[in-house]
Amino acid sequence: MSAGSIDEVIDYTEAPPLVEGNPTLSHLDDAIAKPMEHRPSAKYFIALAVTLAMLTFGIVAVGYTFYYGIGMWGNNIPVAWAFAITNFVFWIGIGHAGTLISAILFLFRQRWRTAIARTAEAMTIFAVMCAGLFPLLHLGRPWYFAFIFPIPNQHGIWINFNSPLVWDVFAVSTYFTVSLMFWYIGLIPDLATMRDRTTSKIKKTIYSILSVGWRFSNRHWQHYEKVYVILAGLATPLVFSVHSIVSFDFAVSILPGWHTTIFPPYFVAGAIFSGFGMVLTVLIIVRKVFNLEYIITKDHLDKMAKVTLLVSMMVAYAYLLEPFIAWYSGDPVDWYLVIQRMTGHYALGFWIMTTCNVFVPQLLWFRKIRRSVPILFVISLLINVGMWLERYIIIVTSLYRDFTPSAWHLYSPTWVDFGILIGSFGLFFTLVLLFSRTLPVISMSEIKGVTESAHPAEKLGAEHE
Amino acid sequence: MNVSEIIDTQKLKNIPSSYSTFGWTLLILGVLLTVISFAVNPRHASFGLIMTLTFVATVGIGALFWVGIEYLSSAVWSTPMRRPFEFISGVIPLLIIIAVPLLFNMKTVFEWTHRTLYKDDPALLLKAPYLNIPFFIVRTILVFLVWWLFYYLIIRNSRKQDTTRDQNLTTKNIRLSAGFIPVFGITITVFSIDWLMSLTPDWYSTIFGVYLFTGAAIASLAFATLLIVKLNEKNLFPVKLTSDHYYNLGTFLFAFSNFWAYIGFSQFMLQWYGNLRDETIWYIPRIHGSWAVVSIILVLVQFLVPFFFLITKPAKMDPRRLVFISIWLLAAHAVDIYWMVMPVYSPDRAVFALSEVAFLVLSVGILLSVFAYKAKRNNMVPIGDPKLQRGLEFHI
Amino acid sequence: MSERTLYGITALFDAPGKILDASKAATSEGYKNFDSYTPYPIHGLDNVMKLKRSYIGIVTLILGMTGVISLVTFTWWANSVDFPMVTGGKPYFAWPSYVPLMFEMGVLFGAVSTVIALLAIWLGLPRNSHPLHDTEFMKKVSDDGFGICIEAKDPKFDQKQTESFLRSLGAVNVEPAYYEAQSFTLRQLVLDPKFIIAIIVVAVVSSATVYWGLNKMLLIRPWSSLNDQEKVLPETRSEFYPDGFAMRPPVEGTVARSQMPYEFTANDLASAGKYLANPLLPTPQVMRVGQREYNTYCSPCHGYFADGDSRLQGQFPSPPSLHTDSLRLAPDGLYYSVITNGFQGIMPSYARQIPRDERWAIIWYIRALQKSEHVEASVAK
Repeated sequence: MSAGSIDEVIDYTEAPPLVEGNPTLSHLDDAIAKPMEHRPSAKYFIALAVTLAMLTFGIVAVGYTFYYGIGMWGNNIPVAWAFAITNFVFWIGIGHAGTLISAILFLFRQRWRTAIARTAEAMTIFAVMCAGLFPLLHLGRPWYFAFIFPIPNQHGIWINFNSPLVWDVFAVSTYFTVSLMFWYIGLIPDLATMRDRTTSKIKKTIYSILSVGWRFSNRHWQHYEKVYVILAGLATPLVFSVHSIVSFDFAVSILPGWHTTIFPPYFVAGAIFSGFGMVLTVLIIVRKVFNLEYIITKDHLDKMAKVTLLVSMMVAYAYLLEPFIAWYSGDPVDWYLVIQRMTGHYALGFWIMTTCNVFVPQLLWFRKIRRSVPILFVISLLINVGMWLERYIIIVTSLYRDFTPSAWHLYSPTWVDFGILIGSFGLFFTLVLLFSRTLPVISMSEIKGVTESAHPAEKLGAEHE
Repeated sequence: MNVSEIIDTQKLKNIPSSYSTFGWTLLILGVLLTVISFAVNPRHASFGLIMTLTFVATVGIGALFWVGIEYLSSAVWSTPMRRPFEFISGVIPLLIIIAVPLLFNMKTVFEWTHRTLYKDDPALLLKAPYLNIPFFIVRTILVFLVWWLFYYLIIRNSRKQDTTRDQNLTTKNIRLSAGFIPVFGITITVFSIDWLMSLTPDWYSTIFGVYLFTGAAIASLAFATLLIVKLNEKNLFPVKLTSDHYYNLGTFLFAFSNFWAYIGFSQFMLQWYGNLRDETIWYIPRIHGSWAVVSIILVLVQFLVPFFFLITKPAKMDPRRLVFISIWLLAAHAVDIYWMVMPVYSPDRAVFALSEVAFLVLSVGILLSVFAYKAKRNNMVPIGDPKLQRGLEFHI
Repeated sequence: MSERTLYGITALFDAPGKILDASKAATSEGYKNFDSYTPYPIHGLDNVMKLKRSYIGIVTLILGMTGVISLVTFTWWANSVDFPMVTGGKPYFAWPSYVPLMFEMGVLFGAVSTVIALLAIWLGLPRNSHPLHDTEFMKKVSDDGFGICIEAKDPKFDQKQTESFLRSLGAVNVEPAYYEAQSFTLRQLVLDPKFIIAIIVVAVVSSATVYWGLNKMLLIRPWSSLNDQEKVLPETRSEFYPDGFAMRPPVEGTVARSQMPYEFTANDLASAGKYLANPLLPTPQVMRVGQREYNTYCSPCHGYFADGDSRLQGQFPSPPSLHTDSLRLAPDGLYYSVITNGFQGIMPSYARQIPRDERWAIIWYIRALQKSEHVEASVAK
């Protein structure tokens, strides 16, 4: 699908190869294991230094928050929720793209996901870890966080099962547990491969323990594959449910701009959208730095860009529908909110958000752009900005103009707010960098399974699992 | 394996006449029943006709949606089975005919057409720029026109490819589908707001368009699955489809039933939780008395039964079970539409009378007769499609 | 050196097609205790080995449903039976709120149980002591080799015959595999000094951490921020005020609730009369109130008809009649002032007993009484 003439002839009778160049299995193992077996370059250490610096800044900001309290943040009444919740939703959203790639695309039998699934799943785990920090941080006394669980206590009282914040706890812990298990199960064969490759005794012990003695037996593969499908099948509705529950945080209220039934699927689409932005950013860097361009090919980037475009249209649909129904409802407060989002104090943020989320992704209609790595990289960054702003705008604009004008109050973040946000990016990227050197960024066993001659029982090019 | 060797050319346009006969019988019977129901109780019959319009429109445009998705995702497993979907979407040009009696009859059905109500309900007054008869008619015509346009262009390209085998036609259809899907999203939302949401003019829900879309996707897929599996099992399909092909149909039915439950529950829970009058007025009649029973039945038939029925892998591949669940899901869609529309006519108790029977008979009659008509005149398999070979070799 | 027990014969192949053929051949030869080893799962190998389909999904379904039912039962019990709580006007058993939780618990139970069941039960892992570990065979299989291993315990196994059979299938390498020479008993493991030291270290470190955490850490900032709050505790001396009192008298000029300062003194009846006006209208209701209050408070001394007919019978000085001309002409404010301040030390103040409005009502009633004894001739007509 190109803009003007069809400059590249597409032959639909052939399936495009999933790994270019038809490398041998052994070659694949070497290429993927290379970052784990060789000393990293100076560039890696510089990158790590940068991310660690960001993380340190974040830790300092968190320290101030713990010691002096939430007053260090810009929160006020009525804008009692701002950066913490924005960042929480942002990071959970990023996690969802990873699960979509590894689980949902697996169920749809889109085998092109193989090259990118492992990194995407790792990103999910790290993103959920970052996200999980924020509900803890925004408690005034975070060390009492355990009370959010239904544990019998001396007050005799249970948690408020009616509160979406409680649903969040169940949802995010389930999501983290299942994603971690899904990732780990996928890692077992690769850890076994590393166990058999490595020459260092310490590494061998670690890999042996972590790979639990996997021995590539076909009787084991049979049950393993079934469990993989089951976990993918469980992770898929988790993506929908977790971000829907996060959207319930807002939608169950009666605030204008928050209380609207489209929030659950709209948030899920937005999450996938922002997640794909981050996945594109990370993968473009990874494939370049580790010379994996023949495994993470331009076809992969093209397909990811198409998915990104699709979800941006869903987000745009919600952007159109909400103001219309706000008008249709005849509720003057709802309509006022629509107007002041576009023209009020945070209008600049609103229009940047709309540009980044609706207009910029329209460029992805063009095949040339989808296959141009630098442009795609910039677009992915803009999507991240736009989606972070979307959550910020939704939250702050609905809060700062409360029902009674006497309660109206502007919000502006403090350096501590920014510090924690920067710190979360620092944590995320530090973990990504560490992951890229300790674990295989591409699933070795799965990628071998999608090479040209992997399954002699089926014809070349036939579509299969 | 050459594609031309495995297609049984005898069966390309050879749908058994029993389908056609059955379809036409139901159609004529349905028209008769509808006319009689108008004579007996025009208001009730108008509501019944809205149900018919919704049912036929959702199945028709849903089928076109599936065609578009296949092109857009470059899926190959569905290529051998794409034609039945195209035939089903052939009802789209007929939608305006079903809508005409209603467009001349709007005051019996739509509360907001009565201006006297405006004095008591200021919110209705504010909606008047949208909810007024001329604009309503314009929107209806526009939506049906846009649907017909995309239907015509996409199907024409697909049919042309049978003879020319031109791969550019696939590219063109991919582009058309890319344009169609967002337009589909907006137009089905407009349809749902106009014909269903405005029946309770004070009520609103931003997710309603998505809700109707989900029902459309399930019903159209179920209808297509029913016909495909039945034809293939009776060896009437021009190519031999395998249980691997069935598996994907079963998976999508399973997935979309769950998706329906998710959307339906989200809407209900949020409006229950917020407890605001403008939102709860839609649910109040539906959770009391006999309508409460219908609500429970709806959840059972549209979600719980399909969930447990289709959860295992063998269930998704078994032709007998697929036929059963397809008929079941079509009936569930009818229950869904009944539940959306009829509480406006009769908030106190669920009614089942001539109009409801007319709705069921006429809807199935239209769909079946159009399918049989198209199947007799066009190839049941897109023989010129470049992805056909890969589709036939598909294995899970 | 102890005898090594034979586990089985392994054979390596270099192409996926060959392992399919080899497995087919092994199955048709009648071998049952054998397995194929591949770096990735090969399609069709399950069928060739005639494996039955995996039923591990049943674990997911059953335990998933258990999760759902457990959660809805628990939330019902917690919120409707144990500590019934109304939140946001929702019923005790607010099932729409529990649906998201039910779903999550179902998924969590299902997923965790499936993974544990897979590893522990179906696969028998962790197990790092399998005979095939650390062999060249395993090293190749985990990289790019495709292998088959026929176990010695198979009834059709014969070392020489099986080896030549495997060679005939085109294997690039045929090798025997042995069980590990040494084995440990549980007793040896538990009594191992390293293990015991490790246990002791873990116990000491965790106890020390918990002790320090609960007894020391919780008493320093920020955990202790709320321990010393800058507020006054009851029955303690105040460090802030010089007199040491935590309880303070009210500020100068404080008035009690509904208290209205009254500025006219007891002697200054003239000013009261001049500046105060009856705010009430003589409605029937006001009259009834006035009558009731007058009969209650005023009549013991003034009599029921304001004529001074005291019921106290000399135990207290009788007041004058209120029907004199001067009193009839006196303004309402004077009466109000007398009720409020008392009169010349004889009549006490009734300010505490009679609220302000009711004083005015009484005054209306007195006026009515006065009028009743001085009706003008013209009115009687």
